[in-house]
Amino acid sequence: MLRVDAIRAVLDRVGGAPIVSNLGGTTFHLHNLDDRDANLYMWGAMGLTSSVGLGIALAAPDRKIVVMDGDGSLLMNLGSLGTIARQSPANLVHIVWDNHQWAGTGGQPTHTAVVTDLAAVARGSGIPKVAAVSTLEALEEAFDQAMREDGPWCIIADVEGSDNPDRPDVSIEENLQRFRRTFDRPAAR
Amino acid sequence: MAWAEQIVQGLKDAGVSLAAYVPDGVTWRVLRLMEQDPFFHMIPTTREEEAVGIISGAYAAGQRGAVFMQSSGFGNTVNALATLNIPYRIPFVWFIGMRGGPGEFNLAQVPGARAIPGILDALGLQYFHLTREDELDRTLSGVIALTYAGRLPVANLLSTLMTGGRDAPR
Ligand SMILES: Cc1ncc(C[n+]2csc(CCOP(=O)(O)OP(=O)(O)O)c2C)c(N)n1
Repeated sequence: MLRVDAIRAVLDRVGGAPIVSNLGGTTFHLHNLDDRDANLYMWGAMGLTSSVGLGIALAAPDRKIVVMDGDGSLLMNLGSLGTIARQSPANLVHIVWDNHQWAGTGGQPTHTAVVTDLAAVARGSGIPKVAAVSTLEALEEAFDQAMREDGPWCIIADVEGSDNPDRPDVSIEENLQRFRRTFDRPAAR
Repeated sequence: MAWAEQIVQGLKDAGVSLAAYVPDGVTWRVLRLMEQDPFFHMIPTTREEEAVGIISGAYAAGQRGAVFMQSSGFGNTVNALATLNIPYRIPFVWFIGMRGGPGEFNLAQVPGARAIPGILDALGLQYFHLTREDELDRTLSGVIALTYAGRLPVANLLSTLMTGGRDAPR
């Protein structure tokens, strides 16, 4: 499964739910496919995509929150899985586009290309709902279930590595303000 | 009120109800009060950068939060500050339990703590040394107002001169 097709499949099913996207290719694809108000694009913060998603999920417990992470990013912050499990937000859907490489820096193989099984790490960290998928059909099924049923969910999606999306032009500050306006409590100022 | 109670009250007055932390002996004197207070939602984390990421996400969804850490954990936050908080303009209320100053016994606590003002200066972030219990509530409410008006984290450095440090009577 190509990551771009996987992201398109999620977009087709996600409704208005907020999406946080990992730096690099995932952010680029998401923006190029559908630049929704409810997208929050990471441009750095490597490792923190899942942490940012957790914070949103805790602040907005009535909405499903979707994280599109990368294997390299998650490997940089594995403790995040334990923190998510301990907080146990029912509304968090954490997808990892596991392309087994640090694509953004030239495609070097990550640990998941060699030894590490992120679904096992997620289970071992205490995430109650873990799915490992490698086809579009399986992804769609797991994602639909995750949007319906309480989580927290972690979906490890095996995707092909080689895709090279165009880099979009985004104002980071504007992105945040636009994203914040999709929540009905802009009180934090 | 003792300094720890003043911080709890200051957070409540400002509507800061989420708190993420990696514990330390000094900030725990605040955190343990918050852990028992249903006003707060507490988030223990594995690493200080994670705590910054979580509270930043909460702000993106419209909620105020605080991050607590020991000075030794400050270095773990730099990438989050540089690539998330500063470019997106994401504030959080920030407490750093200082080690490495008066009363320090552990040499490994000294270099990292000493570097904090210089690193914050280089990043263009503000910080205030909280040294006196009798000025704390005024300073703290001012710093929280500044944090959200400036839309950037502002560090409250909890000095051993105020807290008594790690070995102060609890
Ligand atoms: C803290 C930090 N370290 C390293 C980098 C360089 N870097 C940019 S993208 C990237 C790879 C990220 O890998 P992954 O999360 O798997 O996403 P992919 O690039 O495969 O889409 C790296 C290492 C960075 N931006 N930030």
